Amino acid sequence: MVIISHQREKCIGCNYCVELAYSQWRMSKKDGKATLIGGVNKKGFHTVRIDDMEYEENKRAAEACPVNIIQVKKI
Amino acid sequence: MTKNKLELMAPAGGFDALQAALDNGADSIYFGVDQLNMRARATMNFTLGDLEEIAQRCDEKGVRSYLTLNAIIYNHDLSLIKTVVNRVKESGITAIIASDQAVIGYAKSQGVDVHISTQLNVTNIETVKFYALFANVMVLSRELSLRQVKEICDGVINEDVRGPNGKLVKIEVFGHGALCMAVSGKCYLSLHTSNSSANRGACVQNCRRKYKVIDLEDGHELEIDNEYIMSPKDLCTIDFLDQLIDTGISVLKIEGRGRAPEYVATTIKAYREAIDAYYEGTYTPEKVKEWFARLETVYNRGFWGGYFLGQELGDWTDSSGSKATVKKVFLGKGLHYYGKPKIGEFKIESQFLTKGDDILITGPTTGVIEMTVGEMRVNNEVVEVAKRGDEVTFGVESMIRASDKIYKVVPAEDVDDKFVKK
Repeated sequence: MVIISHQREKCIGCNYCVELAYSQWRMSKKDGKATLIGGVNKKGFHTVRIDDMEYEENKRAAEACPVNIIQVKKI
Repeated sequence: MTKNKLELMAPAGGFDALQAALDNGADSIYFGVDQLNMRARATMNFTLGDLEEIAQRCDEKGVRSYLTLNAIIYNHDLSLIKTVVNRVKESGITAIIASDQAVIGYAKSQGVDVHISTQLNVTNIETVKFYALFANVMVLSRELSLRQVKEICDGVINEDVRGPNGKLVKIEVFGHGALCMAVSGKCYLSLHTSNSSANRGACVQNCRRKYKVIDLEDGHELEIDNEYIMSPKDLCTIDFLDQLIDTGISVLKIEGRGRAPEYVATTIKAYREAIDAYYEGTYTPEKVKEWFARLETVYNRGFWGGYFLGQELGDWTDSSGSKATVKKVFLGKGLHYYGKPKIGEFKIESQFLTKGDDILITGPTTGVIEMTVGEMRVNNEVVEVAKRGDEVTFGVESMIRASDKIYKVVPAEDVDDKFVKK
């Protein structure tokens, strides 16, 4: 199991996560920030659990994020 | 030639800097909200909900307010820019500063006043004429000489270039603050090294670091003589402001939305005095010297006259960060203000405060207060020194608040990692 967390408020809308892990990320047309698909918001941190198969691409998205607000951990 | 007095435009990265700009004589201020501006990383402190308060505070002082919306715009941003432009219209913000055609077009369609951003690098009169179809004010590229600026300003008059409001287009230039090693912000270094695009306001400032050059043929490492080869010194025009005003410009913009409120206070005050002196005929070398010394007290990488005076290449700085001659050391927070006797109460949380110290009080409503501490009391007893943990009171001319922070201002050489040596 892999857990992704996203501190959405700080997103600057660069679109990298969407390019690198399209299965899990979309740009919001409403406010121009990235949205973690299936994410549950707790105090500004959006988290979701995903399959190990998708670890690599989401890890790449986390590393590419210019404002370091994505965390991807194997649990 | 200059019919109207030059407008002094100040940066506002937060409410404290905004107040400092208003209190020190700015004619207009510019600020960003959320992510779509060139300081998305540095200043995240204004939101769309703050627009009314910003407009109101500016209106009270008769100051114009401009919202920067000048990042590169992608499809997914289109809805957000409409929201922002609509909110600008509702809240009474004077204009938006834009570079992307999507923003310019939508703002025009909504009747929102547009200023052309430095990101569009306006460098000739034909470009001015083109953007005059959409905008009443445009900032020129920072890479022009005084002669080129004057030619463009003359061109506006000679060719009668008018904006959508029917008046002659106003030409604006950058007068003070950080310069970029690339053509005004059009740089991809930060994107290449950190995926962090300067054109989305997320520059990691690679140019401000030290580099080594290696000769790949023989492996020699070349030391570059203690110069930060990509980091230009900061622009300062206060010593030739008369020549700059004589070009016919209408607006002087001060850079620095990422800077502290006291930076805004000091810089705006100096330029305010200089502009007023120019119109009163009292702009003298002695005064320039004094303004220059004051500007050196706040954040700077050393000064040069930018490209206005026609230097061939950038003048590189020899320091990684600021060469400010004084530094601020955090002491504590505001507690209470006793209005009648004009006494402020503060909690000292770090270091110590001595009678006679120069201090700085900043906060979102207070702005910036600079003063020297007179008689102090702790627990109703007169003291010479207030230590960490003390709740200290002393006279302060204007109101302070619980949201304020208090700092000691000391010569830069007395500070080591924010710790006072003596």
